[in-house]
Amino acid sequence: MKYLTYILRNARRNPVRTGLTVASIAISMFLMMILTSFFAAMQEANSASKQYNRIIVMNANGFAGQVPIARVRQVEAMDGVVAATPFSWYGGKYQNQRVLFAQFAVDADKVFDTLDEYKLAPEQLAAFKAEKSAAVIGPKLAREYNLKIGDPMPLQGDIYPVDLKLNIRGIYESPRNTDQRMVLFHYDYLDDQLRQLGSTAGGSSSQTAAGNAGIVFVKCKDAATTANLCKKIDDEYRSTDFPTRTQTEEAFGQMFSEMMGGLKDIVYWIGCAVVVSLLFVSGNAMAMAMRERTTEVAVLKAIGFNRGLVLGIVLAEAVLVAGLGGVLGTLGSKALFDIVDISPFTGGFLPFFYVPWSVALAGLGVSLFLGFASGLVPAVLAANSSVINGLRKVV
Amino acid sequence: MIPFKYNVRNLRVRWKTTLMTVLGTALLVASSCILFGLVEGLEHSLKVSGDPLDLIVLRKGATAETTGGFESKKADELLTLNGILRDGEGPVAAKELLNIAVAERVSGTFNNLIIRGVQPASRKLRPDFKIVAGRDFETGKGECILAKPLAGMHKGGQIGGELVFGEKERYRVVGLFTAGGSSAESEIWADLKDVERNTGRDGSVSCVQIRAAGPAEFDQLRKEIEDGAQFRLAAHPESEYFATQSDASTFFKAAGTMIAVLLTFGAMFAAANTMFSAVKSRTREIGTMRALGFSRGDVLLSFLGESLLLSLLGGGIGLLATLPMSLLSIETMNGNTFASVNINFRFGWWVMAVALTMTLVMGLFGGMLPALRAVRLEVIAALREL
Amino acid sequence: MAASSIELRGVEKEYRRDEFVVPVLSDLDLTVAEGEYLALMGPSGSGKTTLLNLVAGLDVATRGQVIVHGQDLGRLSESEITRWRANNVGFIFQTYNLIPVLTASENVELPLLLTNLSRKRRRENVATALRVVGLEGREHHYPRQLSGGQEQRVAIARAIVTDPYLLVADEPTGDLDRHTADEILELLEQLNREFQKTIVMVTHDPLAARRAGRVLHLDKGRLIDDVINESPISAAS
Repeated sequence: MKYLTYILRNARRNPVRTGLTVASIAISMFLMMILTSFFAAMQEANSASKQYNRIIVMNANGFAGQVPIARVRQVEAMDGVVAATPFSWYGGKYQNQRVLFAQFAVDADKVFDTLDEYKLAPEQLAAFKAEKSAAVIGPKLAREYNLKIGDPMPLQGDIYPVDLKLNIRGIYESPRNTDQRMVLFHYDYLDDQLRQLGSTAGGSSSQTAAGNAGIVFVKCKDAATTANLCKKIDDEYRSTDFPTRTQTEEAFGQMFSEMMGGLKDIVYWIGCAVVVSLLFVSGNAMAMAMRERTTEVAVLKAIGFNRGLVLGIVLAEAVLVAGLGGVLGTLGSKALFDIVDISPFTGGFLPFFYVPWSVALAGLGVSLFLGFASGLVPAVLAANSSVINGLRKVV
Repeated sequence: MIPFKYNVRNLRVRWKTTLMTVLGTALLVASSCILFGLVEGLEHSLKVSGDPLDLIVLRKGATAETTGGFESKKADELLTLNGILRDGEGPVAAKELLNIAVAERVSGTFNNLIIRGVQPASRKLRPDFKIVAGRDFETGKGECILAKPLAGMHKGGQIGGELVFGEKERYRVVGLFTAGGSSAESEIWADLKDVERNTGRDGSVSCVQIRAAGPAEFDQLRKEIEDGAQFRLAAHPESEYFATQSDASTFFKAAGTMIAVLLTFGAMFAAANTMFSAVKSRTREIGTMRALGFSRGDVLLSFLGESLLLSLLGGGIGLLATLPMSLLSIETMNGNTFASVNINFRFGWWVMAVALTMTLVMGLFGGMLPALRAVRLEVIAALREL
Repeated sequence: MAASSIELRGVEKEYRRDEFVVPVLSDLDLTVAEGEYLALMGPSGSGKTTLLNLVAGLDVATRGQVIVHGQDLGRLSESEITRWRANNVGFIFQTYNLIPVLTASENVELPLLLTNLSRKRRRENVATALRVVGLEGREHHYPRQLSGGQEQRVAIARAIVTDPYLLVADEPTGDLDRHTADEILELLEQLNREFQKTIVMVTHDPLAARRAGRVLHLDKGRLIDDVINESPISAAS
């Protein structure tokens, strides 16, 4: 530690160079944080869902297949189930524009028992339950479109040939790593309209639409029951026209992340390229710094600094500079996204975005490694440099 | 002017520093170029898909094929309309039925694939539809053909294999096709009848694709489909339809731009660092140059030129490094349909523009401050410098 | 006469330049007594700096023995000789070679960092060394804020702060004007006289050499003259 003064002064010796190195590491780390957090935050929110003991029923064939609505009651009646609600993707338009917030047809009586981390004030819940065309929306959506309780919210059908004239009766609250831009409304409201359409027009397009729960969210009593229930439900419907695939909420979320497919690899490769590039950049800066200090290193060695000490001092400087860039990039981005919510700017592509601690700390680790690796060659060269050559007067 | 040769020599003499800087910046340029090559591929797939005389007919209010289903009866009537281009085999128009089904990748993970039930004319309605391996499927035999980028990605997803979706849908793979880089290159094609039967949706179609005989017929067809009492459907010009499907491309472009901008800054700092050190180690030379009578402007130009040369090397190598990427294809998810899309890297204007911009920004901005420092040096002080 | 401090026996030194072997020192025998003040003179390339490096433990002889204060330097490993230098030798350079980012007192403290001394003891020793070279009040100046003479005084303070046995100086006055050079030479004399430091100094300057108690002349790697100054010019006179 007694060498710290010297190391710190060295790092500050050429403020422009150190500044540029720190800045390039900070910026690159900032980028890495954004790229990796995109997946990690999703993953973390996903794992967090484990505590809620929920399972999700979908058609074995995917989202295009259906789950008959009657099954919601059947599943709810099973042992170990607390509550269940359909969660039918409406995918409609708002103000005749395609929008990127989710709209789900749910069972108003059960949805807040099933998604129990979503909170709704009792009087709002009562109002929601009481009115067929009532809707509950997320707080971010309310802010974004400046919507209040009591406002109408008409949606136009895209997947379904029916429009919805919803009225906002509540704004829910939920943890920050959940979707705060949803619209939830009565399943019956949508289904009745679809049935009506089917009976009046006799059209076949809606024959698969009505009576489809889409997917079913099931709240289980405890963690131990989830696996058994998944199996039980799938066994129950295996030989019907609509076999199901039931999985925990975590596995369900995992499925989406799997669907991102090669995108993850690209992000990974870009991350690697950036790290290697930084290795060149900061290694170069350190090498340039050491080249200018050849004589100085020779003096240190003449007065008795041994190889190990010189190696350590140079490495420490490199790690310090890279670490500073790393701290700025990782903790800076963490702080930035903790304060600023960028989800509105992504058009809903990201319902929430933050830098998880695990990612920030990993980033910091990477930058320290960068410092170490980039300082290694200049440090070894300095440690092994010849004292006599270094002291030889420049004529 | 100070001869440019002088700068070239300097970069060569300091070859280690030059090499590190060039490699470092090249990697950053290459990363950005790859991203934009993917954006370019995505855009291309949307652009190339639409022939100006093609119409895509969907239910009114629907914005996508995957959600635009309507009754098969109406579709049959559509195919008989006047004004549709006809060739020896009949009208160039086809009913199509889309099914999105879960498929297991070779890796054991899952994604959603689009299975498109098609009619013979569907092939003519795609640009450059070609069977590149195996053969085309025969109708009614439960066969399918795969887009080439999908080959080998899923269990059973190769010629001779069998793709299984859920309990009831299974298709034997008999061939691979390409379609000029259009969006069809993310799909599985099978006979319309097979898909209808397998999905139990034999009363409906997802869309009807039509090619008009000419511009006048195009307008007339559009009017008739949209306003005719028996239809009341939406007939989108294909090019317009694909333009509305570009959400994913917009997102990629935004993300790519952000990444490229950040990487450009990183590269700029790297170049600046190298140039600052070049100026510092040549202080005496600069003094000598000035003493010999070269002006401040000459010195500025010389250092800017050297910086540009340095970043040109980085940018050029970065750009070259993307050439083998033309084989790169990534598979990811379409945010609207959750269906899998293949994005093929495409080398084009975007990629070159990104490489050029990064190079110029890196060279000029990275070189400006060091060059200005060189210019501000006093001749006497510079000469005295060790 | 005091016990011998430095003993060179049949020392030869060669350098390899590509395939050529360049002899720098040949067949050198020398005995320096403890507390002696030795000046090395000779034209460029005569081998004086090489001799200095050998005595200071910076370089190793190709043949022969270099024994300093009873220690045969040729027998020490690289890390041992580094430690030996830290404990026994103080260095003074023509261009001072102070660390530009450290203040005067931090520069002087540098060799003390290699010892186990406490922070407090290090401070005391630094203060003493700076007092000896007459630089009180300049402790917190950076090298660039000091004159050449002051810089060299800091360098001398750095050389003596560990209380080494031997001081080696390579043209310590080469970069200084006459007046300042005299001051530095007086300081060296004082260190030799009052603290009994053995000093080996390379110099081009005959006036500087006349201050030393003994002057060696080298040419082409050989000792050609060895003069004892019976009455060195000194500050006292």
